Amino acid sequence: MKKSNKLILSLSAVMILAAFTQITTVDALKIGDKAPQTTLEIEDTSGRSLTLAGVAGDNGLLVMFTCNTCPWVAKWEDRYNGLAALAGTNSIGMIALNPNERIRDRGESMEDMKRRAQKQNYSFPYALDENHKLADAFGATRTPEIFLFDSNMKLVYHGAIDDNADDANTVEATYAEDAIRQLVAGTGVSQQETKSLGCTIKRTE
Amino acid sequence: MKTFLVFVLILISGISTPGDKILVNATADQIVEKIAEFKNEKPVLVNFWATWCAPCIEEFPYLMKLNKEYEGQFKLIFVSGDFEEAREEAIAFLKKQGVDFETYFKVGKDNEFITTISNEWTGALPFTIVYNKKGDVSAAWEGKAEFETFESELLNVINED
Repeated sequence: MKKSNKLILSLSAVMILAAFTQITTVDALKIGDKAPQTTLEIEDTSGRSLTLAGVAGDNGLLVMFTCNTCPWVAKWEDRYNGLAALAGTNSIGMIALNPNERIRDRGESMEDMKRRAQKQNYSFPYALDENHKLADAFGATRTPEIFLFDSNMKLVYHGAIDDNADDANTVEATYAEDAIRQLVAGTGVSQQETKSLGCTIKRTE
Repeated sequence: MKTFLVFVLILISGISTPGDKILVNATADQIVEKIAEFKNEKPVLVNFWATWCAPCIEEFPYLMKLNKEYEGQFKLIFVSGDFEEAREEAIAFLKKQGVDFETYFKVGKDNEFITTISNEWTGALPFTIVYNKKGDVSAAWEGKAEFETFESELLNVINED
């Protein structure tokens, strides 16, 4: 084979490889968007078959993407039950979803989820998001990540739990709590979107 | 023997970069300023990572390899998003990877930090952003990339007129 042909072939291979390894971005739901896939059946750690529509309360729904293996989840986890209690007393349903399909065999299986829910005394359903269908529909990128919907299942808050993963005692901005209180008070959510560091959702290729 | 030991100690202290020099606290504004220093000089690749982030650890050597292969042709900036308690672990990792240049340790609240750095970044790690010589963003992505992707994105900006 001529040197020039070899070069063309090599360049083509690099270009094809580059095209296939190009990372796609996920479009997240926007404020005001309706909750997607609300009738999709998902199984939680107690073996129940649930849907987002079924979990939603009269005043709305709080969806949290989380997992078992992320240090950021471990840091924020001491606030999960408090958030569920606040949501519950305000007639907002809450569900946690585990979308980490790629590493189900490395700490993210249903059995691992059951152990996690039991150990941490989760007071809300923790369901497996098979093939990250819901994470894809929501455009979720990381764990933990929160989506709050109103009674019409329209998105009113998206982002972090609060502004300090490291220490619950030194939190200055309780984003998710504020959003719940403002949603129920009907005053409109003042900070509708926030960002926080977290672990990438481990999607299958 | 004693002289030899003294010699070895001097040699080790000479080649070992202190941890506070390779991992320096930086706010988002300081990172942005650092990136701007290379405007009209060379492309910049910024990689946000953390010791607890498996994909970050996996791709880190790719960047170190590219930094050697394309030495002087672009500026590589690492920013750790680790918790304070993992600072020493981060320094140990950097040294193990052969980092002997200044890298940064995120300071400040997540929301403000992420928003200041890029609208393309939701907060998931790793996050990589590539700037061309003019200082414009050429590519940005969350999640692990392969060596070929980094190289391809770098060559895009290195070869840009």
